[in-house]
Amino acid sequence: MAGSSLRSFIKDVRSAKTVAEERAIITKASAKIRTKLRDDHLPQEKRRNNIQKLLYLYVLGEKTHFGQVECINLIASDDFADKRLGYLAATLLLDGTQDLLTLLTNLLNNDLSHPNRYVVSLALTTLGFLSSSELARDLYPDVENILNRSKDPFLVKKALQCVAKLILKDATLLEVFQPLYLVSLLQNRSICTHGVLLSITKVLQSILSSYPQYQNSIKQEDSTADVSGIVTELVPMMPELLTILQNLNTKNFEPEFDIQGTSDPFLQCELLCTLRMFFQVCTSISVSRIDQYVNKFGDLLTQIATNTDGSKNCGQAILYETVRTIFSLNMEQPLRVLGINILGKFLSGKDNNSKYVGLNTLLHVVPQEPAAVQRHRKFISRCLRDPDTSIRKRALELSFAILDEANIKELVEELIEFLKKASEDDKSLIVYTVENLVTAFNVNQSVDQNWKLETLVTVLKLVGPFITAEPVSDILISINNATDSRHRNEVVRDMLKISLDKSRQDEVTEDNVGWRIATIWCIGEYGGAVLQGGQDKVVSESSLSEYLVQQQKLCDKSENKILHYILTATLKLSTHINDPGCIEALRQIVVSHTKDADLMIQTKSVQYEVIFRQPSSVKKVICEAMPKFEKKVEPEVPKNLVTLSRTKSAQQEPPDVLDLLGDDAGTSSGPAKSADSQPQSSPADLLADIFGTDGNGIIDATSNKINAPQTLQIPPESVKVHESASVDCFVRLVSCSMGIAQLELYLKSKESIQNFQTFCAVPKTQKLTLSQIHPSNSLEAGQVARQNLKITGSGKLKLRIKLDFMRHGTNDNQQFDHKFDQTL
Amino acid sequence: MTHIKYFVLASRQGKIRLTKWYYSYAASEKEKILKDLTPLVLSRKAKMCNIVEYSDHKVVYRRYASLYFICGITPEYDNELLTLELIHRYVETMDSYFGNVCELDIIFNFSRAYEILNEMIMCDGSIAESGKAEVLQQVKTMDTMESNDNLDRVLS
Repeated sequence: MAGSSLRSFIKDVRSAKTVAEERAIITKASAKIRTKLRDDHLPQEKRRNNIQKLLYLYVLGEKTHFGQVECINLIASDDFADKRLGYLAATLLLDGTQDLLTLLTNLLNNDLSHPNRYVVSLALTTLGFLSSSELARDLYPDVENILNRSKDPFLVKKALQCVAKLILKDATLLEVFQPLYLVSLLQNRSICTHGVLLSITKVLQSILSSYPQYQNSIKQEDSTADVSGIVTELVPMMPELLTILQNLNTKNFEPEFDIQGTSDPFLQCELLCTLRMFFQVCTSISVSRIDQYVNKFGDLLTQIATNTDGSKNCGQAILYETVRTIFSLNMEQPLRVLGINILGKFLSGKDNNSKYVGLNTLLHVVPQEPAAVQRHRKFISRCLRDPDTSIRKRALELSFAILDEANIKELVEELIEFLKKASEDDKSLIVYTVENLVTAFNVNQSVDQNWKLETLVTVLKLVGPFITAEPVSDILISINNATDSRHRNEVVRDMLKISLDKSRQDEVTEDNVGWRIATIWCIGEYGGAVLQGGQDKVVSESSLSEYLVQQQKLCDKSENKILHYILTATLKLSTHINDPGCIEALRQIVVSHTKDADLMIQTKSVQYEVIFRQPSSVKKVICEAMPKFEKKVEPEVPKNLVTLSRTKSAQQEPPDVLDLLGDDAGTSSGPAKSADSQPQSSPADLLADIFGTDGNGIIDATSNKINAPQTLQIPPESVKVHESASVDCFVRLVSCSMGIAQLELYLKSKESIQNFQTFCAVPKTQKLTLSQIHPSNSLEAGQVARQNLKITGSGKLKLRIKLDFMRHGTNDNQQFDHKFDQTL
Repeated sequence: MTHIKYFVLASRQGKIRLTKWYYSYAASEKEKILKDLTPLVLSRKAKMCNIVEYSDHKVVYRRYASLYFICGITPEYDNELLTLELIHRYVETMDSYFGNVCELDIIFNFSRAYEILNEMIMCDGSIAESGKAEVLQQVKTMDTMESNDNLDRVLS
């Protein structure tokens, strides 16, 4: 391969049979190029040859850093072929951050005033690609020179492109740039080819987009400075730009720029975009003369919207840009409706790309013109059935964006149709749909509740296999909260019929986990009500129990979640049926899990087993149907209350706690301590508040009742540390070693007290953690509450405790100290 | 408006044939994009739209024979439909330059493919020249100058 050409190198790489072989060839060549380039006596032609190979390595994605200096050397050559290759290599291999750029500055400087226009153009192109802010400042005068001298459209075009980039790189160039140059250039028709016009728009875009930032930076130095002159001097270009755009859109003289009957869509779009930016910036700095052009621009947009042939992609591109302009400038309503209708036409067409951009844009403009978007609902729904996922996704998003109370029924029908056809590939879309459907139902409260329930059950049946636990519980909440319980029972009965009837088994597949969970849950909650409505061959005491037994057998280790549902349903169902055989079968389900490996399940089973043994009057109360569940609204209300009361107590607390330690020797100031203990006691309040106040609807009736009967006993080894008319206090030291002490505080009330709170303080060298008060912060006479304390640190173990509570409707507090024998 | 972030040519087998970056990505980002792009685009079915969302931007692509022409675009500025026109214009220009262009032309003459691209798309990824004839003329003139140089060298 020695001295071989680029062509044979490429051939070699291509002829490699395996990846390893290809790799070997490339590595060898790379090493060879590296050595060759290092050789100072290498003939120029060989040098060029090697740089060409280096570029091929770049295309292959190989490392090329070792050739960077050599690229710059090639640029220094007088040979045009060398220069051309050198500049190409520089634009590809160098990036704007390297020190090598300083080497380039001189070369570029020379070439920018080279007699050969192509050398100048290559230098300009390269400067554009590699410009750093230093290069921008250093070489801007040279570029400006070209603009001032040259009448060659090719060079003017290249120089303007370069200026556009330089301004973006260094906004302070706005100070030196002469806007009037552009104004006069635009009037000189002999120079203004399409390429030059494009580059004029580029410079304008650069000025307009870097202007706000530039203005801010100037204002920071001098708040009275006014730099808006840069923009106002450009305003005279406005009529000229409008005319050019109008002529382009209406007349089509130049075959060179014609694309399928549309005249230069590239230039039309760039002009639209530039004008859009122009109006945005001018409005933001309130240029007075701009108003007269706004109407004219509006007329022109209407004209473009009506005249452009939207049957081809290039026409659609212009229409699309027009619509974006209309909405980003928030033009008048007729224009906005026109814009929406253009997008509507995109949706009705066959081309997928225009459908995609149509949906995408509609989604953004729904807030601006909701009614007009509604009118195209038919086509939006049609896109739900499109074979392309990204179009279906957009259509779904848009459907939810336009959903309101008036159209919810029709739209949901469409969505159900969509779900029916959806496959496993659409999993994310299905989840998206279900989540949004539930939200939509929550937002549009006025919707027919019965229909809503039926819809949700249908949805569950369709998509149960694909959705996660979250939407399933959302649906369960909706069933739970149904206002018409008679209708709900009917819906549940229909659900059960599908699940229980062997002949209808193929309607719901076994992998429909969502459906299974819902059925199990409904058996628990509404089994009794459904059975009361009458038993038949399909729905009977034995069939319901049988279903649970079967489901429990189906559950394997991975489905513990379902098992939780089964256990609760089992317990609940058992209170509603009379057949002893069935009850025993249900009890066996619970019993079989009392030694389950999963701790949660085991605990649950053991507790449920206990309840099973209770007389049915007790059981019935425990296992009543769930109260109405407000998932989103209600929990926030008590939370706010809690934070309110927390801040209140926080305000009161510090002096108290400070006071607590006031006379303690060695602990002169308590703020650190109070800061320590305060947040720890606060969460306890918070939890206590949430769990303590009855009737805020989120407490699981079952768990509450289980806890209540277990009355606490004061362990015999605990020490009485405080005695008063309303409360006795005991402390037990559980453990004390390795700098950690565990304590249990027992409070025995002698009368009914509420809102019980404890504030504890320890010496400065120690740190205290309080648990919440168990079982609750309200005690009846003779009841005992427990609180766990954990103290870490060192020193003598001593406590100061303040008790705060409500007694006979008035606040009371008591304070006491206790010293232990132990030392941490 | 066009404001593309990169222009990539990939074969149906997933081989990269040309890459041009208009946005300053770090080397590792470039590598990741190139690695992700081909499977992303190749997995698309013929009837799907030519716009794909990828990472923080969008990708517009079109297939011509065995080659995929892929552009990364800036969603806020770029006009997806116009990007498709831009790709088409590039293909047309190369078709005129090479005369019925095929993948092999681009593989062996990749530097010419770059030259044409540099005449068409300027440094910030927007279109620089919408006239096909103008692009071809400039590239061909430079070709002639290059070969004149070579001739001079042989004669001297």
